Amino acid sequence: MSQPQPSLAPKPWLSSEATPFVRIQKVTKKFGDFTAVDDVSLDIYRGELFCLLGGSGCGKSTLLRMLAGFETPTEGRIIIDGQDMAGIAPYDRPTNMMFQSYALFPHMTVEANVAYGLLREGVRKAEARERVAEMLRMVQLTQFARRKPHQLSGGQRQRVALARALVKQPKLLLLDEPLGALDKKLREETQYELIRIQETLGVTFIIVTHDQEEAMTLSTRIGVMNAGEIVQVGEPPEIYEFPKSRFVADFVGSVNIFPGRVVEDEPDFIRLDSPEMGGTIHVGHGVSCTLNQQMWFAIRPEKITVTRDRPDAEHNVVQGLVEEVLYMGNLTAFRIRLDSGKTIRATRANLSRQEHEPISWDERVWLHWGDTSGVVLAQ
Amino acid sequence: MTGARRVTESALGRLGLSGRALVVAVPLVWLLVFFLIPFLVVAKISLSEVTIARPPYLPLLEWDGLRATLNLNFENYAYLWNDPLYGNAYLFSVRVAFVSATLALLIGFPMAYYIARSPEPRRTLLLTAVILPFWTSFLLRVYAWQGFLRSNGVINNTLISLGIIDTPIVMLQTDFAVYIGIVYTYLPFMILPLYANLVKLDDSLLEASADLGGRPVATFFYVTLPLSMPGIIAGFMLVFVPAIGEFVIPELLGGPNTLMIGRVLWNEFFANRDWPVASAVAIAMLVVLVVPIMALRSAQARAEEKR
Ligand SMILES: Nc1ncnc2c1ncn2[C@@H]1O[C@H](COP(=O)(O)OP(=O)(O)O)[C@@H](O)[C@H]1O
Ligand SMILES: [Mg+2]
Repeated sequence: MSQPQPSLAPKPWLSSEATPFVRIQKVTKKFGDFTAVDDVSLDIYRGELFCLLGGSGCGKSTLLRMLAGFETPTEGRIIIDGQDMAGIAPYDRPTNMMFQSYALFPHMTVEANVAYGLLREGVRKAEARERVAEMLRMVQLTQFARRKPHQLSGGQRQRVALARALVKQPKLLLLDEPLGALDKKLREETQYELIRIQETLGVTFIIVTHDQEEAMTLSTRIGVMNAGEIVQVGEPPEIYEFPKSRFVADFVGSVNIFPGRVVEDEPDFIRLDSPEMGGTIHVGHGVSCTLNQQMWFAIRPEKITVTRDRPDAEHNVVQGLVEEVLYMGNLTAFRIRLDSGKTIRATRANLSRQEHEPISWDERVWLHWGDTSGVVLAQ
Repeated sequence: MTGARRVTESALGRLGLSGRALVVAVPLVWLLVFFLIPFLVVAKISLSEVTIARPPYLPLLEWDGLRATLNLNFENYAYLWNDPLYGNAYLFSVRVAFVSATLALLIGFPMAYYIARSPEPRRTLLLTAVILPFWTSFLLRVYAWQGFLRSNGVINNTLISLGIIDTPIVMLQTDFAVYIGIVYTYLPFMILPLYANLVKLDDSLLEASADLGGRPVATFFYVTLPLSMPGIIAGFMLVFVPAIGEFVIPELLGGPNTLMIGRVLWNEFFANRDWPVASAVAIAMLVVLVVPIMALRSAQARAEEKR
């Protein structure tokens, strides 16, 4: 594919000299006949905040548990900081994990839970107490230090688990759905806190999440997983704007997808015939494809303009009927039924506070998008 | 069906009984009839005087036609207190029971742990194997140990034929045999509560400990052991308490010096036919036992609360 690539600042994953901190090489994990992780290869660099993003049951936790040492890969190798992890027990690995179920020790206070890792490491009691206190301050649990886990709310428990994993400042931190139970405000604060820790301590993070928004805001790079495989790895804008497959396009953000057949294939543009769109889609850059090939055109709702009057454009103009208008504050979302019967989603930023005669239900409107606004996908 | 129910309910209602009261009443009546009343009878006998008659004690309450006289006789307790035989038997019983319960714990814990960590078909199989001995008579099993332990028994014969020893080791009629018998008999009572506790132990807690740098030994002492405390205490009680009053095992496997309180009791009742002293022994044993039981119970309650 010769689609334009995003311009990126120099980053370790772009340089051929940088040595990865974590190397996952052709790792497969089978439970009986079931393949939970399927031939995954991944390089993660020092200081990264890498997100594994995927739906429930796609193998994210299993991959993380192999890094922590709780599962042994059926095939493949895991190398952390230049050391092959085969046969190395969890307590000898330079990793700490925050469990999806938190796994707090029910018989210990919050304080004792957080101190546990330090004491096992041989840190002296006085120093451990200090570091624990500092950690609890950071996750705003100071006044709960003497409580037992069962006396805490879900969000508080999650913060204890986070504190317990962070306090040892390991080289590699593995977080399994770390922010799921937090409310929006605390979640954002914790996200900033994670980024701050990553920047000040230089700890490498691997975070598992099924929340694409969280992955977008937090990570240096995202690895999208589906059915045990890594389907795409890239920086958040790359994943969002240049998905390589319909799965990624659909999983990350919302998208309209039109199947289409290549009817013109020129070096600087192609045209797709799409009955669902009700015409031909003009794509303003070259795409490696063959004539008559079945392709998919994916376009995000915010890249479609909705107008009452026909826009002054040559290509990519269709008409439809507004079926639904959702006011969402910062933007307005439309669901529009095309004449072909397909419904598509389009959004519009609410630039002014009060619009004169806003577009509403049952109106016929014109839709238009630029000829480089969408992505052509072969799969 | 509903009609019948309504009739019973209204009948009960007229008696002032609700369904709930009935459910609570059944075990209460049971305890009253089979525990409290016999206890009171024994307590009464322990305060009376021995005589050669049938029953072999004098009544507490005497009625000479004009007045009732209450003859409370504390002699029996004073006798227990003054004759060192009884105190020694108590102490010895407690010691045997404590050592046996500790041994059962040391043997039972790894077994319970292994069973609880086993995958499903094997787990049920092992659990059944633990309960299996109950299917034969307890008495038969203790007799079987006689066959193992006696001078020309299985163990000595094997060792001699292997040339490891020349003369048989005396095992039967020793304290050693009593310990073997008690630990063997009561082991399932240790394993079952421990198993019930350990099977609930969350794997991810052990993983979390390992992840935080806890080696297996540290994980055991800081996580597994504290979390299994309620099971340990329950198992300990189930072995310790009945072992104190154990009669059959010391009688069949122990020697003449193995004077456990159960045997003393038996001798007072049936050999000496001194029912009042025997009853006093029983009551004193109960009182002596209540203290450690209460201590264990409160320890258990504290351990439960920690979870
Ligand atoms: N110990 C196990 N035994 C059998 N199947 C497992 C085991 N652990 C995970 N799986 C299966 O592997 C798949 C991936 O699980 P997981 O990695 O937990 O998914 P998620 O992406 O939601 O974290 C699931 O279908 C799960 O049922
Ligand atoms: Mg998971």
